[in-house]
Amino acid sequence: MLKIAKEKMPELLNAWAKIGKLYVPQDQDGVSNFLPWDGKGKLTLGQGNSVLPPKDLFFPRTETMYRYQRSGGALSLEEVVENEKQILVGIRSCDARSIALLDDVFLTKGYVDEFYRRRRENTLIVALACNVAQDTCFCTSFGIDPGRAEGVDIQVWEVDGSYILEAGTEKGRELLGQAPALLMEAGEGGLPEAPACNLKVDLAGVTEKLQQMFEHPFWAQICRKCLGCGLCTYLCPTCHCFDIQSENRGDSGIKFRCWDSCMFSEYTRMAGGHNPRPSKKERVRNRFLHKLQYFPERYGKFGCVGCGRCLSYCPVNMDITRIIGGIKEVDLNG
Amino acid sequence: MNTLTEKMRALARELLEKGEVKYIIGWEKGSLWYQSPPVFIDRPEDAGRLIWDEFCVNNLAKYLLDDKYLEGRVGLFVKGCDARGINRLLQDRQVERDKFYLMGIVCPGVKDPRQAAGLSIEQREEVPLAAKCLYCAHPEPVVYDVLLNEAGEAYRPKRPAGERFEDVAALEAMSPDERYEFWARQYQRCIRCYACRNVCPACNCRECIFDRSQSGWVGKRMAGSENAFYGLTRAWHVAGRCIECGECERVCPMGIPIMTLNKKIIKELNELFGEYEAGVSLEAEPPLGRYRTDDPDFS
Repeated sequence: MLKIAKEKMPELLNAWAKIGKLYVPQDQDGVSNFLPWDGKGKLTLGQGNSVLPPKDLFFPRTETMYRYQRSGGALSLEEVVENEKQILVGIRSCDARSIALLDDVFLTKGYVDEFYRRRRENTLIVALACNVAQDTCFCTSFGIDPGRAEGVDIQVWEVDGSYILEAGTEKGRELLGQAPALLMEAGEGGLPEAPACNLKVDLAGVTEKLQQMFEHPFWAQICRKCLGCGLCTYLCPTCHCFDIQSENRGDSGIKFRCWDSCMFSEYTRMAGGHNPRPSKKERVRNRFLHKLQYFPERYGKFGCVGCGRCLSYCPVNMDITRIIGGIKEVDLNG
Repeated sequence: MNTLTEKMRALARELLEKGEVKYIIGWEKGSLWYQSPPVFIDRPEDAGRLIWDEFCVNNLAKYLLDDKYLEGRVGLFVKGCDARGINRLLQDRQVERDKFYLMGIVCPGVKDPRQAAGLSIEQREEVPLAAKCLYCAHPEPVVYDVLLNEAGEAYRPKRPAGERFEDVAALEAMSPDERYEFWARQYQRCIRCYACRNVCPACNCRECIFDRSQSGWVGKRMAGSENAFYGLTRAWHVAGRCIECGECERVCPMGIPIMTLNKKIIKELNELFGEYEAGVSLEAEPPLGRYRTDDPDFS
């Protein structure tokens, strides 16, 4: 294990930023997000979760898939291949789990999404352990250890004004080797204890219960306060729906994909105008069934990581912990 | 339990028992001590869930649009800004006055749960008033059927009226290039979640242009230019109709100062068409929603 004084961290980031485009939580106009590091930003490492999850780095809000050009009678296509190296610093254990879940979606079950794969393989991930649980954190209910992230290249802990770093992969060891002058040996032990979450959910039997609840009046009740915006889906580290559209400019244009949200009416509107999810009841139901039933059925894992972003930011506090509690209380024979 | 909460529960129970309303929209306690989200109460025995505290921040007026064709009435609690939202919907011919029963609350100002995050309940007093309440000029509901408390010293506006446009003045002091850079940076962040639109009582179109991305008017691409087009279109669409409840800016997860844009337009309208406050009176028509033959541009 290696060690660096807290105030030296920007220097380490500067060194790493030469290897690839480095993203680290920074404050811009009072909002903390993973932003490209230019050596001058205001770091928010060690504070609560970023507002937007780091999924943007693998699955950008908008990405061009290919360009097209028509000249005379001929049509030419130009593929867009992103091969930029990225280094993602400061993600939390909950977000690390979310990346593992996105891997399941984009890389398994017989189809590999090349756009996601390229970004994923070109990204080194450096996780920062949590010393404090936010009020809205409930990652431990999903078996996540806030003190150690899964599948990351380097794990970092903040201890007494220093950061302790430990490589988890060969790539991580190489990255640590890039700045030998800045890092010193830390010795073993002395890692802080992972915090406990105050907020907890009991997930036992939830998926099985939901399998019998599709037509239950529960959904008509809980959807009432939902405003039908897409905030929860965009702030959710595991939501991954996208739309594919084109932008035409005369004889040329681009095909792009961008985030989409199952909370929008347009999301399920079919040609001809029919909408199989006509109201917020069906949309709210879909969102929670996706997290708590469909995801476990397909991948054997819950599609929620307990990061608490929806709890903090939903304008009307559609609280997934309460909804899970509500599901448990439903009397299927009643 | 405070007396206002007691009154709310008693009245809600009575209205539901007598069948005067089909259901009640109010606030309840959330998982955390600083969350008081909206709640829908259908049965008299559930009236005990209702609560009044400083975190009852949501404007409930917009929910009336979800049940326009209900047979019977909805009971609704309204703070000052919520009541202006009701007038907004009435003036826009979105709802009928006899379809709801308004229980007014003179509001001492509310607090934004996001500003309480991380504090303990003992630090309750340290949570600042929500930004939207600092320049509130109408803590007393402008429309109601029954008023649950009385106005007094505690309900005076928290800031002098002159400060209403101070954020606008700061932007006006910038050079055009600086201002462009400022707004470009803000809308670069926008994620097009449409929380600002969906929470806004003035955004009451049956179908929004932004839910028709195939129309070609605006791209679905989340890029600065498209995002800014969304922000500007919405700002123009609520011009002269914005009731200054500040909900758009409160709910924005990306911290975009949406109210500064709205207030800039309000300031301009005041200078061009005379002082006007949207949603305060049903008789005073929105400056951009009326047509007069003595208009200087009419000829």
